[in-house]
Amino acid sequence: MFRIFQIVIDWSEVWALLIPIPILIHKKQPAMIKSVVFYVWIAFFINLAIDLTWKLRNYLPTAFNSNNYLYNLHSVIRFFLFSIFFIKLRQPFLSTIKKAIPFCFAAFIIINFCFFENFFDYWKLSSRLLAVEAILLLFYTLQYYLFKINDHAEVDIFNSDFWIVTGLGIFVTFNFFIFLLYNELTIHLQNFAVTLWNVHNISFIVFNLFIAKGFYESREQ
Amino acid sequence: MSQESNDIRLLLVVGIAAMLMLFISLLLIFIFTQRKKLQYQNQVQALQDIQKNQLIEAAIRSEEIERHRIAEELHDEIGAILGAASLHFYNVKIEDCDESSQTIYQKGRVLLDDGISKIRGISHNLHSSILQEFGLNEAVGHFCGKLAHESLIEINVNLDNRYPTRAAQNDISIYRIVQEFINNIIKHARPNKIMISSIYQNNYLDLTINHNGNGLTQAQFEELRFKRDGLGLKNIQNRIILLKAELKLAQQTDDFSINISVPIF
Repeated sequence: MFRIFQIVIDWSEVWALLIPIPILIHKKQPAMIKSVVFYVWIAFFINLAIDLTWKLRNYLPTAFNSNNYLYNLHSVIRFFLFSIFFIKLRQPFLSTIKKAIPFCFAAFIIINFCFFENFFDYWKLSSRLLAVEAILLLFYTLQYYLFKINDHAEVDIFNSDFWIVTGLGIFVTFNFFIFLLYNELTIHLQNFAVTLWNVHNISFIVFNLFIAKGFYESREQ
Repeated sequence: MSQESNDIRLLLVVGIAAMLMLFISLLLIFIFTQRKKLQYQNQVQALQDIQKNQLIEAAIRSEEIERHRIAEELHDEIGAILGAASLHFYNVKIEDCDESSQTIYQKGRVLLDDGISKIRGISHNLHSSILQEFGLNEAVGHFCGKLAHESLIEINVNLDNRYPTRAAQNDISIYRIVQEFINNIIKHARPNKIMISSIYQNNYLDLTINHNGNGLTQAQFEELRFKRDGLGLKNIQNRIILLKAELKLAQQTDDFSINISVPIF
């Protein structure tokens, strides 16, 4: 029983994305959340590659049987697509900072992977990259709520962007410290690190449920 | 297990807990403030609705007062003058005049009588004394009786007698709505049969107007009442709002129906 549960959780990074995908196939999404639509599709293919690489690692050539670089790639793509999403919300609050953050993140990636880490590291994913991504996305999420608290225009709060932002907020809240300490955990507490990844996977399922709700609530604006 | 491993584990648990607390508290503040805003907006909306209804009521009441005043002026002033003129006319000795003068005199008398009758008609239309004295059913029946013409249009009236004769102050608005609809139907739909019926039960008056002309559907009515020249329909809509009534227009094969459901307090 536990084994079946573990298989389901292991593959959740792939099947969780199948929750929002039927909705976005069935319902045309407004331009404002197109970047989230792209994210769902790209994440689906990257996560499929991640899980297939992991499951077929014994059959693949050594150079290709690590999926850590795919997690790094997923992180970079997630950050830029959600940055576009937050910028496109056109909330007149911290606009300059919101627009500057993607450039800062790009600079961070270049510096980090040129001088400190290897993007295609065989043995580990980049804790630093994923943690920086998570904290920046958390900043975007918190500023969204702060803007809405002070905004007097809108009262229909449970709209599509609310669900997407809340899902993202839950995901990064749970995962920031997991990402930050993951490399350390794999060194000192390997089994705990593997178990902890289930928390990441469950939060990813919740994230996708919220995205699906956001797609479902969307309407042309 | 080493101290370092324990520290990492503790840091992880405390870190996740702290992040969760931060996120959940902000989310709760967000939801709470939005609810407050929603409550405030609903209150403002309710006040605006009350104000709008008061304005409509004031406009309709002043219109009625003005109608009353004009009706009184026509009836008491002009009607009296024309009546006196008629009396003088009847006392003119015309027997000694030639035939042409007698014809002109007769024509003048007919026109004067016609004028007096028209003035009375307009006066009664502007302010229905029948409505005041005998109630809505009688007023609607009388109004329809005046419009019906055997060869051109047949108007059947079947109103519920259970409706109290002097039920509400709103009778005048219901009467005006019926008046406006019937006038519009005759003018635009050109039917040869109109049926007006009503049912009064559970403190609701359901008034239905059926006709076989070229009538309006609900969608067409909604479209027309926003047009600048649709003053009659706007008046109907204002009175419907004032009465807190429901208006439904529908088409059933060849017939059109207008249903007005009015709560009677």
